[in-house]
Amino acid sequence: MPLIRRAGARGGRGGFKVRWLDALIVALSAALFVCLAVSVYGGPPSSVLVITSGGDEWIYQLNQDRVIEVPGLIGVSIVGIHDGEAHIDDSPCANRTCVASQPIRRPGEWAACLPNGVFIRIEGEEIQDEFDAFVR
Amino acid sequence: MSSTRSYARPALPDGGRRLAAFLAALAFFLSTVEYMLPRPVPFMRLGLANLPLLLAVDLLPFGSYIALALVKVVGMSVLTGSLFSYVALFSLAGTLASALVMRGLRALAGPRSLSYVGLCVAGAVSSNLAQVALARVFVFGDSARFMAPAFVGLGLASGLALGAFTQAFASKSAWLAGILSSPSAAGASAGGAE
Repeated sequence: MPLIRRAGARGGRGGFKVRWLDALIVALSAALFVCLAVSVYGGPPSSVLVITSGGDEWIYQLNQDRVIEVPGLIGVSIVGIHDGEAHIDDSPCANRTCVASQPIRRPGEWAACLPNGVFIRIEGEEIQDEFDAFVR
Repeated sequence: MSSTRSYARPALPDGGRRLAAFLAALAFFLSTVEYMLPRPVPFMRLGLANLPLLLAVDLLPFGSYIALALVKVVGMSVLTGSLFSYVALFSLAGTLASALVMRGLRALAGPRSLSYVGLCVAGAVSSNLAQVALARVFVFGDSARFMAPAFVGLGLASGLALGAFTQAFASKSAWLAGILSSPSAAGASAGGAE
C-alpha cells in the first residue's frame, strides 16, 4: 500500500482548514514568545559580558579585547572578546554547536555550551568609560 | 469541549507493538536525515523525528505511545553520541513533555477542533520549555531565562512547519487511512516495512 495517495485520487479527505484550538495554541505560543522577549530584551542597553559556569559568574567589559578560560563540567571553554563582541572560541564538547554560533554584542544576546555548562550573555548598564565604578 | 471528541483510535491486533516498532524505525531514519542537514541557527532543530510521534497520538494505545517516545530518545541519543551524557536527559525531558502534552490535548479535543498543526506547536513549545526549565535547575541557573524567548520562538516556528507537513501527509496518506479505517491493515502495513 502506498504511503502517499496522489492528489485528486479517490477518497481524499479535503484541504486543510484551521481549527479553533489550532488558532488558540498558536496565539498563546506567540503571546508567550512576545512576553518572554520583552522581559529579556526590553532592558537598558549594555556592554557587559556575563559568563556563568558551575554556579559562578564573571563579568567583563566588552570594550577590552581579551581571551578568557572558563572551567566547565567537562573541561575548559575559551571565550574571546574582540572588537566589542564575545564568542565561544573553543570548547571540549562533541558537536561544537557553541563554537559555530554567532558572536554576541547586544543586550539579551547569549550563547551556551550545554555539555560544558558554560553560558555567556550580554547585560547590565552601559559603561561609557574605562572605569567599572568611581567613588569620590 | 466533550463534543469535540468524535473519533476512536484503531483497535490494533497486537496492542500496536508492530506499528510502534515501524514508527520508531521511521523516527531513527528521520533523525539521521535531520542530523545531516545544516542548522541555520545553533540549537535550531526542525524536529523531523517527532513526525512519527505526532502520528502516533491518534494511532497507538498509551503504553505503546510512551514506549515509542522512549525508544526515540534512546535512538536519537545513540545517533548523536550523547546517550551516556546528561544531554540525553534534556532530550528525554523534552520528548516526554511533548508526548504527554500532545496526548493530553488529544484527550480533550478530537481532530475536528485540533489538527496536527496545533498539536505539533503545543508539543514543540512544551518540549523546549521543559528543556529550558531543566537548564535553569541543573546547568545555567538564572541565566537560562535568556534562552527562553529563542527556544519558544524556535518551537513555534518548527512546530508550525512540521505540523503543516504532517497535516498534509495525513490528509493524503493511503497508508494512514488504511490503519484508521481497517484495524487489521495496521499490522500488515507495519509488517511490510520490516
